[in-house]
Parts: sequence; structure tokens; C-alpha cells
Amino acid sequence: MNRKLFFLFTSFILLTLIATVFNAPVRAAESVTITYWHTYSDPETAQLARLIDMFQKDNPNIKIEPTKYAYDDYKKAILTSIAGGQAPDVMRMDIVWVPQFAKQGALLQLDTAMPDFKKIADAVFPGPLATNYWDGKYWGLPQNTNTQVLLWNQKLFDAAGIKEPPETVAEFVDDACKLTSGTKQYGYALGGTYFWAPAPLFYSMGGKVTDDKVTTSTGYVNGKESVAAFQNMLDLYKKGCISPNLLGGGIGTAQGHATGLYAMIIDGPWMVDIYKTDYPDFKVRFAPIPVGMGTNNSSVVGGENVVVSATTQHQPEALTWVKYLMSEKAQLFMAQVGAIPVLSSLTGSKDLPAYFEVFMNQLKTAQARVAHPSWSAMDDAINAAFTKMLKGEKTAQEALDEAAKTIDGLLAKK
Amino acid sequence: MSQLSVRRQVSAQTNQALGLREQRIQQRNFAPYLFLLPGAVLFVLFILWPMLYSLRISFFQWNIVKPETSVNVGVQNYLDALTDPIFQRSVVNTVIYGLITVPGQIIFGTFVALLLNARFPGRTLFRTLYYLPVITSWVIVTLLFQYLFNGQAGMVNSVLQSLGLIREPIRWLADARLVMIPLTLLGIWKGVGWTAVIVLAGLQAIPESLYEAAAVDGANLRQCFLQITLPLLRPTLVFLLVVLTIGAMNVYISGLLINRSGNLLNEAHFVLTWMDKQTFENFNFGQGAAISYLLTAIVFIVSFVQIRFLQRDVMYS
Amino acid sequence: MMRRLPMLATRYVFLTGGLVFVLVPFIYMISVSLKPQAYTFEIPPQLFPREITLNHYQEVLAKENLLLYFGNSLLVATVSTGTTVLISALMAYAFALMKFRGKNVLFSILLIGMMIPPVMLIVPQFLVAKDLKLLNNLLGLIVVYVTMNLSMQTFLLRGVFAGVPRDLLDAALIDGGNQWTLFRRVVLPLSGPGIAVVVIFTFLYSWDEFPWAHVAMKETAKRTLPVAIALFQRPDLTEWGQVFAMSVIALIPVLLVYIAFQRYFVAGISTTGLKG
Repeated sequence: MNRKLFFLFTSFILLTLIATVFNAPVRAAESVTITYWHTYSDPETAQLARLIDMFQKDNPNIKIEPTKYAYDDYKKAILTSIAGGQAPDVMRMDIVWVPQFAKQGALLQLDTAMPDFKKIADAVFPGPLATNYWDGKYWGLPQNTNTQVLLWNQKLFDAAGIKEPPETVAEFVDDACKLTSGTKQYGYALGGTYFWAPAPLFYSMGGKVTDDKVTTSTGYVNGKESVAAFQNMLDLYKKGCISPNLLGGGIGTAQGHATGLYAMIIDGPWMVDIYKTDYPDFKVRFAPIPVGMGTNNSSVVGGENVVVSATTQHQPEALTWVKYLMSEKAQLFMAQVGAIPVLSSLTGSKDLPAYFEVFMNQLKTAQARVAHPSWSAMDDAINAAFTKMLKGEKTAQEALDEAAKTIDGLLAKK
Repeated sequence: MSQLSVRRQVSAQTNQALGLREQRIQQRNFAPYLFLLPGAVLFVLFILWPMLYSLRISFFQWNIVKPETSVNVGVQNYLDALTDPIFQRSVVNTVIYGLITVPGQIIFGTFVALLLNARFPGRTLFRTLYYLPVITSWVIVTLLFQYLFNGQAGMVNSVLQSLGLIREPIRWLADARLVMIPLTLLGIWKGVGWTAVIVLAGLQAIPESLYEAAAVDGANLRQCFLQITLPLLRPTLVFLLVVLTIGAMNVYISGLLINRSGNLLNEAHFVLTWMDKQTFENFNFGQGAAISYLLTAIVFIVSFVQIRFLQRDVMYS
Repeated sequence: MMRRLPMLATRYVFLTGGLVFVLVPFIYMISVSLKPQAYTFEIPPQLFPREITLNHYQEVLAKENLLLYFGNSLLVATVSTGTTVLISALMAYAFALMKFRGKNVLFSILLIGMMIPPVMLIVPQFLVAKDLKLLNNLLGLIVVYVTMNLSMQTFLLRGVFAGVPRDLLDAALIDGGNQWTLFRRVVLPLSGPGIAVVVIFTFLYSWDEFPWAHVAMKETAKRTLPVAIALFQRPDLTEWGQVFAMSVIALIPVLLVYIAFQRYFVAGISTTGLKG
């Protein structure tokens, strides 16, 4: 036992030494290292690595150190590192987080820090740019944008005798029930009750969360059109044409769609890569979101913005990296793995994958969600309303009235 | 061996004198503190200091980016937490979780230990297999249960339906009250093996002679169990009660994963998962810290009460 | 009392019955990891796969980093375990067999460490680790894992050491030994089973830990297995086949450690005094 202990002791000392040696950060004496955090999927991460190589060749004094995070814990990881004064220099983050982090003082104000900010800002789509605006200032730049469109399973449509995907909401409602048969097949499925899921159809049917100046939501989220929009989906659900998975613990939309359980889902461009790896035999078909009230307001804007930490020690280099990410070269490069570019100059470009067309067209009418630091809590309020009406605990009007009250409370808090 | 017995004799005789000398040596000696040093350093750095820091934060409206700008709000965070219906609900959920999983683990664990407490072929295999859930991480186990309790294609529904117990599939993970069932089952399932091993150790410490004497007196199984086994297991069971209760109140990872999708509307939180949401999603660090201290206080009081009222010395009669 | 044959049969029946409940989730895990993606959620669900595919395992191993994460976990768990055994043994020895002022108070403080919800310490622990330059360094994981285990393992070993026969200690003292010799030559060798328990508990903890590992490691190259498993999840899609394939692979080392040390396990628990 004695010798064993001694052996254990020395081997542990050795292992510790090895661990320390291998972990000492290696830094070239003169180059600056910029840390960049993201939640890219695996194919996107690989592409990013190549992009970084290209950037480093052009900028030999700057080294980019990317770190991939799991989406679910990303916010927590960012917060903890900010708390520890270890925030990454540059981050790619969900567009709806920007106002919240800006309010905390975590972000560098870009329109003043970046000399040619205006030139870049003019070159990007206005919708995505607006998601970086808070309190009269710009806190980031859009890195990539996306939206949701209708995915329809051609095989199931053919079997039901429907030739084309629905173009109007009325057709959509009709088709959804025609494509439903008990629990073996549902016409439509949502990913959940969080706002992102019903948002495309909600906006399409004229729904609004707040007024344009973002001062009040009473009369908007519980206004005539919004209530009608939710009522529409509620009716479909009650008729059994929408899958019950949206309340949680069911079969996911991506999988259900590919296996023929859900005839239609609404989702984003990342589905192409997902289906390529997981369901290579499935042919995904895209179509614009069915039009409801008005023709200029379908679907919802998503995407990621690139932001810089307020505490970065290498501001000029960080800004160089940001600028590079906004260049046509970088935008086209990342587009190859499904990241829709934000530069309006690239619309219709032949270098973009073919399936981008339907998304970029949809972006012309896609609506932005509320850019406010308390958006998460507002999302929760609408989520709660949707859940309660689905469970029959409240009517659509009652549930949305409650949400309006909550959101107004959040808007009032400065 | 005879050398050792000689030494033992000598030691017994010189024990007194030695004892005095020992004491004197030890009082001049820094040895104990040297032994404690490495552990103490780590403990202070990574437990004591963080605890104090966390306590301090709990009295502020804490800004993580610019801590200097944090506002001292006294006990407001604690009051806000206590009057918050979501926090109150999380306490209720945690208590229910504890009330179900702790007895569950102890009862099933004891039952399994009783079954394992004999020499028979395959005994080690059974013991190892029962311990499998214990060595599997909470993350993996929660994913497994989410899969099994899937509302549309899960095995649990399928089995219940084929047994004719339900007609429609139950959407376990969609309802804040129903979801407690997979969560508590998960908690019990994961802990039975651990509990069984500890009870087994306790059982093996009970001298066989007691049972033999009882058999001579004509005692049956039930009497043996109630009058010999249980009383002698008491310290083990009390220990389990305290440790399992602490564990139950600190339930975290399983609740965290289940609450991810957000459609349980903050009604299915445990105290720690609500703390996590307050801190890392609502950026309310001060209140998060207050909540964790409230929980620590509850844990402390409950453990204290349990030990005080249940710990008793066991005597062989 | 518990030794007659009909009892034996009953034993087997009940044990096997209970085992079904224990094992079914694991069978599902292995089964789904071997099922082609399309069958993950077939209705009605099948316990055993109709078709077997090694795709998920190939995908999971092909992302070369899996071996790297596996190695990281292995390194961290092994070093954490060795260090914890050493440090908590030292502390346990002091508390069990030495006399010094403040012994009871210090021990109580140590025990309080067992009641703290670990997750509440993450942010301040991060601050300390940053100042000590332990972030993004596997050593940072090791140090925190050792600390979090100190209370429980010291408690256990104290029970073990207190059970060492007094006269053996005195005999060694007579031979002119000091505390260190006593520790090394008498107490430790006799405490094998107790140490086995500590090894199992600590290895388990270090291997399965998630919250701290995720927050403290910046580089992808420094990740451990639980973090890697979490990385497989997307907001809208969980790739069950791959997640379970990774889980199966992740289970193997802990299982091996447990099997290697488990023959001392029950005996070890007895010596810790946990049983009473």
C-alpha cells in the first residue's frame, strides 16, 4: 500500500505538471489576440475557422481565438465572464439580447468608436440594423440575418391532392386541416409557445406587440388583429390540425417534418444543413409565409449581431475584425454554410446558395421584434398568454389582456 | 504477530505516561495545522470567500459590469424574493420533491439492501447494476427521462396505454404539475442504488448473533425486522435522511433542463432553478444571491432539526 | 433468518423485478444510439431497434475533438481524485487523531461546506479563478473540484481513521514515530476500503460535473465530456441518437473505475462510520 501511494502521489504530481504545461497560454510576443465567442453549428464553425485563416493572412499581427458555446448556456457564460472581467473582445449574439447587454453597460458604443460606422451601416439592411439601436445609440452591427419561411412536405401534399403550398392564411388554415389525420399526421406544427414560433403568422395576420414608438402595448398585443391572429391558431389547435408538441415534451418540428408527421412547419435557413446531415433523403421545400392582412408584413426577423465588449483591451484590433466580418468577402464566405448576409448589395448575388432567394425575399416584409432590454420578460408574457389559451385556462382576449398589462409594466421601467 | 502483542502490552502499561507526554508534544507541535493547511487554503479561497462575496451581493442591486455602481438595498432583495409568487411556488415544488424522493429512496433503498444482504451467486452483479444510475451524470439521466416521458412517442405513455390505464397519451412535460412525476421518479431512480449501498453497510454491521438468538426465541421475520434490524439501522437511516434531504433541496440540473423550453411558465421551478433564471437571464444577481442564502438557511434549519430530534444512541439489549 | 431457499428464490424475483426498472432507461439509451435517425421517435416506440446503425457513433467519434474532450475529462478526473484523496486524508487525520485548539469549530465550518448549493458560488469562484490565472486552464477545474469535495470526503475519512485501533497507533509512537510516520505507515495502509470509497465518489463528481466546467473553460480544446454532450443540443432540435451515443461512451470510464474499486466499496462505507 505504501509503494502504491507513493506511485499515486508522484504520478499525480507529474500529471499536474503536464496539465499546467499544456495549458499555459501560448502567445506570440508581438501579435494581439482577439477572443471571439459564438454559437455556430459544427459546419458553420469549420467554415469560420477557414475565414479566420484568411483574415490572419491579411492581418498578421492579429490572432483570432474563437470559442464555441452551446446556445442554451451562452448567456450565462457571457454574464459570468463579464462579472469576472474576462469578457471576450468580440461576440456574436442573438439580436434580441443587444439592448439588454447595452443597458448593463457591457457593450462598446459602435457608432462613436468605429470611424467608418456610417458607411457600413448604410450598406446593411435597415431591419437588422435597427436591432442594434438602443437609447439613441448603436451598440453593434448585424452579422447575419435570417427569417422564417414555410416548409412544406411535398409527398404529403401530393397524397392529399394539394398541388401548391398555401399562399394566403385562409388557404393555410384550410390545408392544415386537410393534411391532418388523427395523431398520425398533423397539418402544422409549431416549435413551442415562445414568441418566435407563432411570430411569422402573427405578423402576417396584422398582429403587433407595441406601437411604433415602443411606448405602450395595450391596444396592440391585445388589439383586434393580434387577438384574431392568436384565435386563428387556437381554433386550428382545437380542431386537432396543429400538433400538441408545442406545449412541450413532444416530437420536435425538424424531426417530425422530415419523418412525415408534420406536413408543414415554419423554420429558418439552418434547416438545410440539419436535414443534409440527419435526413439526407428528405427533400425540403420552401415557400413564403402565407399572406394575411396586408402584403408587407409577413414573418419575423431573426439573426445575430456582432458586438464588442466595453472592457476590451484591444479596441482597434477588435474593430478591424468586426469590419472584416462585415465585408462582402466574409459575408459571402459564411453564406456558403447558411448564414444569410446583411449587405443589401448582395441581394440576388449569384454567389449565394440558391435556397437563399426565398429567405431574402421574405426579409423584405419581415417584422422586427421589440428592441428593448426587457424583451426576454415580454417574450415570457406572450408565451404565458399563448400557453394559457391553448390549455383553455383563458380566452385569447383575456390572456392577451394580461400580457398587455405585463408588457406595459416592463416598458414603464427604465 | 507476537512482537505486536508484546508491544501492545507494553503500550497498555505505559499508556498513562505516554498520554501525558503525547499531549505535551502536541501542544508544542504545529503538525495539526500543517496537515490542515492545503485543504484550508482551498476551502478559504473557493468556498469561504465566495460565500461571503455572495452574501454581500445579496444586499445590493448588483451591476455585474460596473460593480461600483451597485446600489445598497438592504434586505429588499430578501423581501422581494419572499413575496414573489414564483419563488413561493418554487419552494413548494422543492418541498414536494423532497417529500417524495427522500422517503422513496430510503424505502426502496432499504428494500434492495435487505435483498442484497446475503451471500448468493450474482450478488455483486446485482449490486453493480443497481448502482448504474448513480454513476450516470444528471445531464444524461434527465435527457433519458425526457425521452421516455415524451408526450407523443414516449415509452411510458405507450406502456400505460397498452395496459389500458390511459386512453390518450399524457403530456407529461407540458404541465407544471404533471412534470413533477417524471422529476421525482428520476430523483428516486437515481438515488436508490446509493442509498442501498449505505444501508447495506449498516446491515452488515449488525451481528448475526442477534438474529440467531431471536430465532431461538421463536421470533418471525416481522419481529426480527422491527425489533432488531430497524433500531440498529437507526443511525444509518438518520444519516440518510439528513443527507438525502440536503440533496433534495439542492435539486438543480434536472429541473434546469426540463424548464429550458419555457412553456412551463415559471410554475415548475425548484428554488435553485429559479435562482439560476433570476441571476443569468433576468440579470438580477442581488436577488439570485438572496434566494440562494434563503435556501441555505432552510437547509441548515431542516438538517439541524432532523439531527436534534432523531439522533439517539443505540443500545444492545 | 434470511438464509433459507424459498427466501433465495424470492430474493431473485424481487431483485430482478426491480432491476427491470433500473435498466430499462439504459437499454433505451443504447437502443436509440444504435437506431437510425428516422426511428428515434417511431410510434409506437420500440425498445429494441429493428435496424442497427453505427452512424451515430461514427459521427460522434469523427468530430475528432471527442477524443480530446475524453482526454480532458480523464485528466481532470484522475488528478482531482488523487489530489482530493491526499488533501482530505491529511485533514481527516488531523480531525480524527490529533488534538488541537479549535478542532470542533473548524470541523463544523467544514461541514457547512456540504450544505451550500454549489451553483450559488459560481460567479465569485470565477472571480477567484481569474485572479489566480486559473481560467481556461484545466488546473482551474481540478482545484475547484477538489475544494467542492473536501467537506464530504474529509468527513468520510475521519470516520475511517477514527476506527483505527488505538493500540496500533501507540505502538508506532513507542517506536519513536511522529505524526507523519503514523499517517503514512499505519493509518493510510489500513484505510484502503475507505479510500476506495473516496476515489469512487470524487471520480464520479469530477467526471460528471457540468456548470463549472462550462463556465470556466474558454477554449474548445479545454472542454470536458459533459459540456461536449450539452453542445449537441440546438434550441429546436436534440439529436437523440448522437447524444445517447456520446452518453454511452461517457459512461464507460466511470463504470470501469466503479468496477475496479467496488469490491472495497461496501466494506469501505462501513469503515467510514456512515452507517452510524
